[in-house]
Amino acid sequence: MNTLVPAIGFGIVTASILAVAGVGFTLQFGVTNILNLAYGDIMTAAAFIAYLVTSAGISVWLALVAGAAFGAVFSVLLNRAIYTPFVRHGTRLFGMIIVTIAVSLIVQNGLLAIFGANFFSLQMARPSSVHVGGMVFTSVQLAIIAIAIAVMLLVHLLLRYTKLGKAMRATATDPELARNCGIATDRVIDLAWAISGTLCGLAGVILVMNVTAFTDTTGSQFLIPIVAVAVLGGIGQPYGAMLGAVVIGIASELAAAVISPDYKDVVAFVILVIVLLARPQGILSEIATRKEVAA
Amino acid sequence: MSVAWQFYISTVLIYLGVDVIACWGLNLQFGVAGLVNFAYIVFQAAGAYTAAVLTLGPAKPAKLGGFQTYVGGASWPFPLPILAAGLVGGLLAAVVGGFAIRRLRSDYEAMVMLVVSLIATSVATNQVGLVNGPNGLALVPKPLETMLSLSPVGYQWMFVAITAAACVCVYWLVHIVTSSPLGRTLRAVRDNEQAAAALGKNVTGLRMLAFVLGGVIAGVSGAILVEFISAWSPGSWLYPETFVYFTAVIVGGSGNNFGVMVGALLVPVAFLEATRFLPQFGPPGLIDALQWILVGVLALVFLWFWPRGVIPERRRRFPSAARSDQKRSLIPTRTGR
Repeated sequence: MNTLVPAIGFGIVTASILAVAGVGFTLQFGVTNILNLAYGDIMTAAAFIAYLVTSAGISVWLALVAGAAFGAVFSVLLNRAIYTPFVRHGTRLFGMIIVTIAVSLIVQNGLLAIFGANFFSLQMARPSSVHVGGMVFTSVQLAIIAIAIAVMLLVHLLLRYTKLGKAMRATATDPELARNCGIATDRVIDLAWAISGTLCGLAGVILVMNVTAFTDTTGSQFLIPIVAVAVLGGIGQPYGAMLGAVVIGIASELAAAVISPDYKDVVAFVILVIVLLARPQGILSEIATRKEVAA
Repeated sequence: MSVAWQFYISTVLIYLGVDVIACWGLNLQFGVAGLVNFAYIVFQAAGAYTAAVLTLGPAKPAKLGGFQTYVGGASWPFPLPILAAGLVGGLLAAVVGGFAIRRLRSDYEAMVMLVVSLIATSVATNQVGLVNGPNGLALVPKPLETMLSLSPVGYQWMFVAITAAACVCVYWLVHIVTSSPLGRTLRAVRDNEQAAAALGKNVTGLRMLAFVLGGVIAGVSGAILVEFISAWSPGSWLYPETFVYFTAVIVGGSGNNFGVMVGALLVPVAFLEATRFLPQFGPPGLIDALQWILVGVLALVFLWFWPRGVIPERRRRFPSAARSDQKRSLIPTRTGR
């Protein structure tokens, strides 16, 4: 009991980071149908931007904004400059996976070449700790949870109540039909990359706010739970990803406390395999099932 | 030729042989059957590890001077560890394929494979009892070294001959698979899964078969490598290595066994060996990072300009020809499976 309650606390923090990252990942995949395996590396790049900002003596909160903005701009440019041209050029599904992984390697090793193989950490004020029930949070962790809740609410409002959200859902379901209905799908896709990139950048910065040190591979390691979250929730399903994040975040931190911290990712992987065997369309994915039948 | 040059050239030839074998296996999965296996290196590593522990002999406890822990040590005579490595590669492929290939779209599949690769590295590194953790295995005895009394250079060339023999065997296997009705059916599954299924082909079974065969070949290639360098560590089998093989297959011409061989010569060997002769510059690790960036760029450039590779897959036509090329591999034949 003594170790489990704090572990749930850590789990909530991990779930918050995963929720932001997972929703961004799945949202972009749902709308554009490109599996962006460079996602984790863009997170790392945003973390390095935040590192540069905090090293200049600027507050970590502004660094968060800078990281998110970088994520958005980089993702849109990446799509405009590389992904879309390749799709228009006739590169098919296999090819696009190779393209995204090539980009992932280029970004990761670009960071390695620029910053070198060292450990980095963000410069910020020593956080105070807060006791909630049996759980202990630092003020930074509470902020991470608040950011995640705010982001989830905003995504929910965006998807449900705005025209853009509707257009995004329409493009995700059937891009041809959406275009025929007068939706500017190109603009919707740009915006989807921008939103996903913002979430990606945010997730990258809050990820490294929560750890003591990060390297050029921090983001690509984090891709394992992100993928697990996305698959658990049903790929392309933001609400599924939110639920998946809670499940995987808490399960992996419990496993870390009970078994060993080295097995955090293994738990995410085991959940991934079980979902793939039992319900490949994800836990919360009626739309995906319907899509499968219609196709 | 001086001894140093003989050493260098024979070493490069052995690496080339290993890469060619590995690329043929990947080509069988990716080029012929259309499986995007980003965990390919894991099967190679598993084969290598199997061969290593089956040559090393039982692990010695630390007080008897043993310094590494691993499972299932034995000292089998020479060709057996390599064959066992192929078997383990194939078995592992059957297990991984069991959950990854069954019902997944190819992009899901790629993603799951990538995760398999990352997880395998983390388990191998963290579970020290299994593969001796991040240190890996060392001092794997070289095959036949004690039996034959050859000079070091002579042994090198003997190993080149072993590698060449393995290349011939594997080529024979992949040639039989790709040029038979089985190969035709695999290409049909790759080009149009639904149509192949509609013609009564067991799509999942065929893809599994290609996946397992690829796993066997990967295991063999890893075994040869480890018997040569006589060391194994999880850090040298990371997922970017798989990407090098993918780049080689794409550059050479995916689906074409000969093209893939050229690809293995151009990418892992020529491209990565060439930097050995560059002067060192910048902080340590910089050249490696730049090398990876260049491999990434190379893959992008080829996918854009020459997506079919240097030596493209032969367009197959049949006498009773269908009108469009797109349907070329879907013509039912009497000999087809």
